[in-house]
Amino acid sequence: MDLSNFEVDNSVSCRLSSSIPDACRTEDCCLGIDEAGRGPVLGPMVYGICFCPVSRKEDLKNLKVADSKTLTEAERENLFLKLDEVKGFIGWALQILSPNTISTSMLQRAKYNLNALSHDAAIGLVQYALDSGVQLKEVFVDTVGPAEKYQEKLSQRFPGVEVTVRPKADSLFPIVSAASICAKVARDHAVKSWKFAEDLGDVDTDYGSGYPNDPKTKSWLLKYLDPVFGYPQFVRFSWSTAQTLMDSKAVAVHWDDDEEDGEKAAARKNNTSMLSYFSREKPSEVSQSRDTHRFFTERKLQSINTL
Amino acid sequence: MSTKKKRSVRTDSDSWVVIAPDTALDSGRSDDSDPCFVKLKNPATGSSSMYLFGSGDLSVHEVKAFSDDYRSWFIGQAAQRDGRLLYVTPIDPLFLLLPYIRSVAIEGKFQQVNQMVMDEEFPGCSRLLQCKQGLDCLYHVTDEKDVGGKKFHRFNNEKTLEWLQKKVQITVNTLKKNNISVGRGVKSSMYVRVKQEDATEEDYLYYAHGLISEYISDDLSKDLLKHLQLPEISSPKETEPPSKKRKLSDKPVEPGDDYSKFNSADFSRKPPKKMTAAQKNLAKTDKTGMKSLASFFSPKVKQEKN
Amino acid sequence: MMSANSCVTTIQRDSLKQADNPQIHLLPCEIEHDGPAEVSKFFNPTVKERKHEKTVSFRGRGLKGQELQCPQGYTGVVLKEVQKPASDQEDRIVKVSSVFHNFTYWNLETPPTSDDGVVMAMTWPQVAEAIHGAVDV
Repeated sequence: MDLSNFEVDNSVSCRLSSSIPDACRTEDCCLGIDEAGRGPVLGPMVYGICFCPVSRKEDLKNLKVADSKTLTEAERENLFLKLDEVKGFIGWALQILSPNTISTSMLQRAKYNLNALSHDAAIGLVQYALDSGVQLKEVFVDTVGPAEKYQEKLSQRFPGVEVTVRPKADSLFPIVSAASICAKVARDHAVKSWKFAEDLGDVDTDYGSGYPNDPKTKSWLLKYLDPVFGYPQFVRFSWSTAQTLMDSKAVAVHWDDDEEDGEKAAARKNNTSMLSYFSREKPSEVSQSRDTHRFFTERKLQSINTL
Repeated sequence: MSTKKKRSVRTDSDSWVVIAPDTALDSGRSDDSDPCFVKLKNPATGSSSMYLFGSGDLSVHEVKAFSDDYRSWFIGQAAQRDGRLLYVTPIDPLFLLLPYIRSVAIEGKFQQVNQMVMDEEFPGCSRLLQCKQGLDCLYHVTDEKDVGGKKFHRFNNEKTLEWLQKKVQITVNTLKKNNISVGRGVKSSMYVRVKQEDATEEDYLYYAHGLISEYISDDLSKDLLKHLQLPEISSPKETEPPSKKRKLSDKPVEPGDDYSKFNSADFSRKPPKKMTAAQKNLAKTDKTGMKSLASFFSPKVKQEKN
Repeated sequence: MMSANSCVTTIQRDSLKQADNPQIHLLPCEIEHDGPAEVSKFFNPTVKERKHEKTVSFRGRGLKGQELQCPQGYTGVVLKEVQKPASDQEDRIVKVSSVFHNFTYWNLETPPTSDDGVVMAMTWPQVAEAIHGAVDV
């Protein structure tokens, strides 16, 4: 699998896709959606779709695609090559959500949670297939969240397409298994050959599975923690594992949208009123008989009396 | 997600980021004394403010801090927690001399300037007597007498107002040239900015008067307003944008108009980059002398390291 | 009170010659740290320059920024205390440790505009020169 388009800039999301088989533009098609790398604290999350004419479902079955989780990495590689060989009737597309996209979205002022991010990636891929002329009739989706709501959302978004959202869909529908293989292979490749944008020299690539409970992952996270920057962009800062490690081992960083806990908010409020009280009481020291001109307040400029 | 850490009390800095005129740092004369920060009496408030004398005390500058909450610096390969940017800009020494000259005016006597400019509380004020721009221009604010080769001065209110009026006019010109928004329209993406050409001459005069008033006493500021034939505004806040009128309220500052059509949950919950009225008040107050007070209210903020 | 007002802080002019010329960034967050930071390893290589703005992320948060020039005739300097005074009633000495003519300021998520406080503050020196310049007769 060629990830060079993503590797050019792995701080942003990227779409990779096969060519669209001619048959998919003329015949009714089914499409499967699955994701890879939702849980890990490291690396991208990949959304994948696979599609083929409904009439070729049996051919797909004969490729013996199965749930990617039950396969070894080598078996997945093999199956992906097979899928890529039958270009005549199977197409695929991937949305790689870079860890930096995941971090900055989830931590953004207007919080963008992982479910919304996933749904939008899936919707974007289905729309891509439609825009490319694929005659979509059936869509099968694997899900971790509540299936009904997601099914409703997708059905509304894509009227005229029969949507089936089902937990463990990747073991039930071969087209979803195929999508999961594409996604998983891309995720494996991206993690294995991660090109660190940071200037870190030779990085130890023994990160383990990337799941927070993997001791290898944990020791990697400890080894690469920087007291000021935290982590390279390979790490999802929005994961509590990363947050907890930074809280205990890195310097504190505060943002203007940090949520204040009750005590702090109260202290701040108190502080303000007390300060203004004192400024009234001690005219020689801090009070100014007039308000500072708005030229200065708008520019956040103030006189100082100590360096 | 884990809970956010409290901000610890900032300790005194030993590093400062400053923007200063090239001429303040180096007079070009190697035998002059080094530039130095000195505290002087603020001519508007009478309180202590920081100033910088250039090499050889030939020039004097004021020091203002651009101070935004939640700012820090990266300087090369280092972090600096204090994210202020200090501006060193020229100040007319006459503004700093004026309170001293005026304070002896009641006696109506002519005096030498070095007899007038003496201050036990701010001994640094004697350095002002080295600043050429001030000494050469005393005639703008005083009547002068030459006796035996020595100059004697007496405060003259009329001359002072004429001088200040000229300053107002020069300031107006610069405001126009730099497209500085002086009208009642507010700078903020939440408001439609009033076009510069909509500002009246009076808007400019009020604005410039306000700027000059940052350097003179209250009563002189009022005299100057009359001298400029501008009606006195009952509340100074009237010239201010609507967002400032609610200063005393504890609620977040909100636009006066109906912006409810933008009221998506996120938009209304946290208008980006807007400070609450309380924060604004705090930002306006000179907090520099209040460290001990602030620390009193957050006694256990030392960050826990483990 | 009285003695505090009489303290001066001298800038060693000679130090200007040895000052370095580092890259400077103004960040939209408070970092509770004064000291070394691996800026050239973590930060600089990840800055992306687009048409009108730069982007980078810090601690998982997206920043947008742009470069700002010091006003004409002005220089940026970083002053460092040579020796910490024993009390606040003492004269202090600082040196010029760095010199700069531009720096990058960063906003949290919002694109940089001319309405940003830092940008607006840069107009102050010009206005100050009008207010404080000598008045002709």
